[in-house]
Amino acid sequence: MSFRQPSILPGFGLTLGFSTFFLSAIVLVPLAALVMKTATMGWSDFWRVATDARALASYRLSFGASMLAATLNSVFGFIIAWTLVRYEFPGRKLIDSLIDMPFALPTAVSGIALTAVFAENGWIGQYLAPLGIKVAYTWIGVVVALTLIGLPFVVRSVQPAIAEVQRDLEDAAETLGAGRFTIFRRIVLPTVFPALATGFTLAFARAVGEYGSVIFIAGNLPMRTEITPLLIVIKLEQFDYKGAAALGFIMLTMSFVMLLSINLLQAWSRRRMVAAGR
Amino acid sequence: MSITLDQVTKRYQGSPVVNDVSLEVGEGEFYVLLGPSGSGKSTLLRAIAGLTGVDHGRIALHGNDVTHVSARQRGVGLVFQNYALFRHMTVGENIEFALKVRRMKAAERRERRKELLRLVALEGMDDRLPTQLSGGQQQRVAVARALAHKPPVLLLDEPFGALDAKIREELRRTIRQVQRELKITTVLVTHDQEEAFAMADRIGVMNLGRLLESGRPDELYARPATRFVATFLGAANLLLARQTEQGIRFGAAPVNARRVEKLEGGREQEVVAVLRPEEVELAPTRDNLRTNFIANGIVEEQVFTGAFERMRVRMADGAANAHIASPNTNGGNGSAALLDVTRTQHEQRLFPLALGQSVAIGVRRIHVLPTPLSSYTAYGSDEASCERLSQHPFLVELASRMKTRIIKRSEAPLVACDAPASAPVSGVAVIAAGQKTAEQLQWLLQNGAGEVLVLPAHSSAPQRVLIHWADDSARRSTLAVAASLLRHVAAEAVYVGILPEGSGGESQRPFGVRTLLDARSEAQAVHGLEMRTELRFGAAADELQRQLTESQDPMLILGVSDPAQLRGTFGALFTSGSTYPMMIVYRPSKDSEGAVE
Repeated sequence: MSFRQPSILPGFGLTLGFSTFFLSAIVLVPLAALVMKTATMGWSDFWRVATDARALASYRLSFGASMLAATLNSVFGFIIAWTLVRYEFPGRKLIDSLIDMPFALPTAVSGIALTAVFAENGWIGQYLAPLGIKVAYTWIGVVVALTLIGLPFVVRSVQPAIAEVQRDLEDAAETLGAGRFTIFRRIVLPTVFPALATGFTLAFARAVGEYGSVIFIAGNLPMRTEITPLLIVIKLEQFDYKGAAALGFIMLTMSFVMLLSINLLQAWSRRRMVAAGR
Repeated sequence: MSITLDQVTKRYQGSPVVNDVSLEVGEGEFYVLLGPSGSGKSTLLRAIAGLTGVDHGRIALHGNDVTHVSARQRGVGLVFQNYALFRHMTVGENIEFALKVRRMKAAERRERRKELLRLVALEGMDDRLPTQLSGGQQQRVAVARALAHKPPVLLLDEPFGALDAKIREELRRTIRQVQRELKITTVLVTHDQEEAFAMADRIGVMNLGRLLESGRPDELYARPATRFVATFLGAANLLLARQTEQGIRFGAAPVNARRVEKLEGGREQEVVAVLRPEEVELAPTRDNLRTNFIANGIVEEQVFTGAFERMRVRMADGAANAHIASPNTNGGNGSAALLDVTRTQHEQRLFPLALGQSVAIGVRRIHVLPTPLSSYTAYGSDEASCERLSQHPFLVELASRMKTRIIKRSEAPLVACDAPASAPVSGVAVIAAGQKTAEQLQWLLQNGAGEVLVLPAHSSAPQRVLIHWADDSARRSTLAVAASLLRHVAAEAVYVGILPEGSGGESQRPFGVRTLLDARSEAQAVHGLEMRTELRFGAAADELQRQLTESQDPMLILGVSDPAQLRGTFGALFTSGSTYPMMIVYRPSKDSEGAVE
């Protein structure tokens, strides 16, 4: 084979074959099944299910809340990562390992816990209620749940990038007359941006697919706090397999388009940095 | 003056990394700070830039005190070893960064950018990204960027460290050219002496946080004042010699080297001589030498390096004892008698040499270091205590930093204190602190010791050295010893001036303050030692004792002109075994008067 290259893993043919098989079995075949199932519906049926008012509301909540949660995570995840990388303080290691907790926690558990805390008589909810802010059983609750599960993605993506920002760059900018804010905006942020975009993408993708924690805190009112994954489950429970597949297909397409555009954006900004020689 | 540093000190976890550095760099001067890694040179540079605060002292740029001004306001041009270019910006954007921050108009910015790119010979590279450039080009961009806002001074922190030899040389030339063209005051930090020689108007050599010497490259090379500078700037053989009325003697062989530079003071004493490898002459026999014979030797190593031949010659005769360190050894005993020699092609042709051949060694030029500390002799009442003392960590560290040797000598009179010594004391005598310290000091001083180091069994390297002398006639020699010692110890130096209490009290103060200022300026001018000063009132011994117990890891350097002072005025310091190292300097008063020119 002409594109055979020396490698530490044995056999290009073997590894390529294995990768193809694995990807097919885990990703492609199930997706194909989803598309096939959808294809068995007529076009008008599909359109009716996909643009049903209840479905439209659920898309808005799912993608909107995910977007908002990923944005919040980008801001706070960046600050947390910055603190963990740049400062030495007692308990740093502890906080560092706490970041991973949402990975390990069963999502249902975090959903129930959040509900308990944010309910009107919960620890935090009781202080928010007099202010007229309701978290549990509203879209805010959905955002809170999605923020919790997305946080580690941002922190873990950004941490190594911040560690790589050379102090010399900041020193250089300072001697050139830049203030703190300028240094952050013009030097630090652009350097960390590709990693931040990765973190955002991962957090967003995770949030779109999230089910377990949201259904506990959202209250699941049709048209108001119902996410698309839940709508799919409801359709399945009603044995409306085609309808479920149609909604799944819509989600798949929208997620794919969004992830692809984020990835393209990221590739563009990374090309400007070109792994940066030294 | 473009840059003025006045006693700048920066401590890290209590110990000084930059230690009392005072320095003036003139308008348009190219100044090179040279030193090994960890000598504090980069920290000092960052302090000038304002990126590191200082714990003590003053920094001024063009006469304006900027000690408490932020790096942003100081606006010096700084170039880093790893370029520190902004990789997400083009070359042009990098260069314009400082101008953009200052809200300069786009047209003017473009103008300035073109000018700078021409200056560093990178015209037309405006739109490249730093990653598309070679290391040398990137560093040129960094220089252009640092100069964009017309900074008051340009600081370069090991700018060639990451480049290979050929590009390094080219970039050196560019930077020197740019510097000359703009007449901008420049400080460059490096550990490469060749680079320092190639670029500097003046070189300052740093070690252990201190600025040891500062001067023109040729002067520093020909007449270094310290061992460190002698061995760090070029290669040097350090030899122990005796300076007598007649001249220099190496071991048993009397040498009347004609071009020997005289040391002040008439007294015969042990001195440290610098012999550059290229100042050694080799000849088949003593009679063939055209210069002063010092010893016979055998060629033990020979390396051809192109223009020069490098060899090591083992010295025979008594002169072997005289040799303490050659450039590539740390005074290890096995190689102690090896002399480093370089010969030109011409010399090689005149007298071809083979390994194992015996030769006569001659000296063209010797430079005697003005240091009163030559070698150490550990004294004890028996072999075991000598051995123990010679292994004392502080002593071992001092000796290895000074590239000198420690001799062991057991002397019974150290106990009895009345019999004469078996051999005259030379160099620094070292004794262990104990109950009989005062008597032992007395005995050593009677037998010709000029400096005695008293070491307690458990003492770490000092962080604060207190200096005091009993009367003015001991001042000069005490300062000389302090200066020499402090070049090898990372400690802060404080001169403690003490006036008797009650004797006029306040009216004495102006006199006391003047004494302090005199001491400080003499230390600076004559010995290149930066120290701080403190004025105290009271009994000398009590005040010193108080100061010493208050300091963490102190050391005392005490100058006397009469041995009786040790038992009288300072007796209290010796009654109990001390817990800190002490260096006693003794010069009989009439001799030290003669030493003042």
